[in-house]
Amino acid sequence: MTDPTTTVASSGAATSAPLLRVTGLHKSFNGVPALRGVDLDVRPGEVHGLLGANGSGKSTLIKVLAGFHDADSGTVSIHGRDLSSPFGPRGLREEGMGFVHQDLGLAPAGTVLEHMALDNVGHASGFRRVDWTAERTRVRELLDRFEVEVDVDATIDMLTPVQRAMVAVVRAVGGQERIAGGERRGQILVLDEPTVFLPRHEVGMLFALLDRLRAAGDAVLLVSHDLDEILQVTDRITVFRNGETAGTRHTQGSTRDDLVQLILGARDEHVAKGAAVVHDDRPPLLSARGLTGNRIVDLDLDLHAGEVVGITGLAGSGFEELPELLYGVRAPRAGTVVQEGQPVTDLRPAASMARGVILIPADRKGQGGVLGLTVMENMSLPFLTRRARGFRVDWKAIEAQAQEACDRLNVVPPRPEAQFGHLSGGNQQKALLGKWLDTAPRVMLLSEPTQGVDIGARREIFKLIRAAVAEGMSVLCATSDYEQLVEMADRVIVLDEGRIRTEIHGDDITKDALASAVYAEEAS
Amino acid sequence: MTTTDPVKTTATPKAPRKAAKRPAEPERFALLGVWAVLFLVFSLIVPETFPTTANISNMLGSQAVLLVLALGLIVPLRAGDYDLSVASTLNLSAVVVAVLNVNQGWNIWAAVIAAILVSMVVGVVNGFIITRFDIDPFIVTLGIGTVVQGLIYQISNSVTITGVDRKLSDTMLTQPFLAIPVDFYYAIALCVLVWYVFDHTAFGQRLLFAGQSRDVARLNGVNVSRLRWVSMIISAGVAGVAGVIYAGTTASADPTSGAAFLLPAFAACFLGSTVLKIGRFNPWGTLIAVYFLVTGITGLQLMGAQQYVQQLFYGGALVIAVIMSKLVKTRGERRRQAEVRPDVPA
Repeated sequence: MTDPTTTVASSGAATSAPLLRVTGLHKSFNGVPALRGVDLDVRPGEVHGLLGANGSGKSTLIKVLAGFHDADSGTVSIHGRDLSSPFGPRGLREEGMGFVHQDLGLAPAGTVLEHMALDNVGHASGFRRVDWTAERTRVRELLDRFEVEVDVDATIDMLTPVQRAMVAVVRAVGGQERIAGGERRGQILVLDEPTVFLPRHEVGMLFALLDRLRAAGDAVLLVSHDLDEILQVTDRITVFRNGETAGTRHTQGSTRDDLVQLILGARDEHVAKGAAVVHDDRPPLLSARGLTGNRIVDLDLDLHAGEVVGITGLAGSGFEELPELLYGVRAPRAGTVVQEGQPVTDLRPAASMARGVILIPADRKGQGGVLGLTVMENMSLPFLTRRARGFRVDWKAIEAQAQEACDRLNVVPPRPEAQFGHLSGGNQQKALLGKWLDTAPRVMLLSEPTQGVDIGARREIFKLIRAAVAEGMSVLCATSDYEQLVEMADRVIVLDEGRIRTEIHGDDITKDALASAVYAEEAS
Repeated sequence: MTTTDPVKTTATPKAPRKAAKRPAEPERFALLGVWAVLFLVFSLIVPETFPTTANISNMLGSQAVLLVLALGLIVPLRAGDYDLSVASTLNLSAVVVAVLNVNQGWNIWAAVIAAILVSMVVGVVNGFIITRFDIDPFIVTLGIGTVVQGLIYQISNSVTITGVDRKLSDTMLTQPFLAIPVDFYYAIALCVLVWYVFDHTAFGQRLLFAGQSRDVARLNGVNVSRLRWVSMIISAGVAGVAGVIYAGTTASADPTSGAAFLLPAFAACFLGSTVLKIGRFNPWGTLIAVYFLVTGITGLQLMGAQQYVQQLFYGGALVIAVIMSKLVKTRGERRRQAEVRPDVPA
């Protein structure tokens, strides 16, 4: 993985100096490196794509630039000026960078005018009167210049998704123009997966806007998972892999296969997971029939004892939602869940737990465990009723059980009274896994189970899950981490726009096969 | 914390230095220390009035109403909800006792039971609105508290009702035992009860999780809505009990003075969360906080301070308590973190 900058140097000779240059940026979280010295340069008048698998460091880089994290080392230069982290809470916005995050950062009840005025007034002294007439003129002019046809007095919730995205983009550009003042310097706009939640046919409108930015001499850094999109709209593409720059390519002349190769790295060989004994002769442990949620449409699925079923797709395709639907976090819009032949009538978390169906959510800090409480307390919750003798909770028994689980799963430190939030991500996940395994579940629903988990703990978690499956459990694992699916899953279902696109079995599950299935061109 | 399994230590060679089981946290007892110092200082400055049996007995007995109210309030606080209607509920309960007993000629005990039931209705209404419509309890209880205040004026005709049956105060409340008014012991008993519920029942633990993270609690099978609703009913019911004690100690009920309990109750709860179990609302901490506050106020008043010192002290204590708990928590956090992760494999 050490072929990073050569391509950059050779291709960057002809054109002007880069607007943004990132050199050797490092960042670790709790000793787990997220960026191991990435390089990137973005030139004026180009749309630069940033690709990489989950965990490759894309979002970490953007968060460093936005001032959300401080880098450990490395430099960033903008307009030729060298800057070093920390960049302060406003990040590099003062230097002419604008950020549009996936959720766009717009308040539904505010008007377009209010949002844009906010940026302008935001850092003026607090009691200065807002000149609404001048603001209105400025905002109209700005929207006209980029040919975005929205009413400045419309509230955000009245706009279509693509209009919202365009407002967010223009807002980011407009906000910086002010700061730059005087003559207009080239702006750098960072778009973090802006198209995930947009209807397909409207994406083009957003890209037309990017063209106009390019024509104005600005630079756009576009983060996306969608290869077709990247190939269609960018001039150059940088790919991150494992926190390093895997390479930079000119879009012209690049193919999907080149990029997939660059994203995945060396060709992977199949990893043995031990023979699965799938009991598909018996009725499935858990099934979905016609299940419809916010994104999933009319899904049929069977989970048998003894198998790990992976479910994946692009962000927004609905795979993230399936574990929650099956667990009953939210009521499905339509369809039924069937457990061992019996239709489930009471689809709520408490009832699911009682039936032996458990969920380990992706948001470990917000939904998995309480950071401020101890490991033991976090592990106690499902057992409170069982361990309560009369009115009294048997804390001794709970502590012994937690201690046993910590030792068995190799949680570091193996002290149940340690605060949950102080454990590393991998140890947190092992503690949660231990808790749920002690409830002897029939079906385990996992959502991104190894997000933010270091390599060592990943392996251990895979082993634990395989061992549980060997004893007749069924596991559903929703993830966008292909490597994990290769190592763990017996079959993988790929979703596209809420429907099953394809299913891959056994030895056919390779990173290449998954990437091609996920990134496959539009069928229509 | 007395697991001494020999196998365990050998099975975990990864912990390089076996840290003390529970890190010593002097901060946990800081308020107790300040309280002791305060007591000593006042004893030295006003030796003839402060460290006397009469004064101490008075301090202990006079705070029973506040302590009971605060012990009810920490239940929703533990579940992450504010109940700003507790003071009005207390007042309502006192007025209901007086109106039924004096104006309507009810038996005093029937009036007491009615008052507590009426108070619980306030909690039922609060909980219903909060959980059914998913509205911030802060604003709901603020509104309901004001509605309750209006009801109090209506049923009491805005006058103080005197002449509540002496049986209430004589047999239940102000008779001294070991020179301390007996209502002090009720408050202590309630403290034990709340401690038991918080630390040793599944309900208490679920409350804690619901307060720390609604999502975590729900995904672990806790019925968060019902729990929050129940906690509102408990705080209202306990406020009703506090109101009964209040009516008993004064043998009367006026329509306004209950409101004065709101801020001290919050001050006690928040100050209490900086003692013993830092960052958690806990009954013994609340008890310490209540008596810490009254020690300060009484001492200053005996030194000749005016009545307003009470407001200064309660208000100041609330703000300082919140700042303290934040500071102490971050400090302890850093140390404990260093202990948990001595070395991180890169």
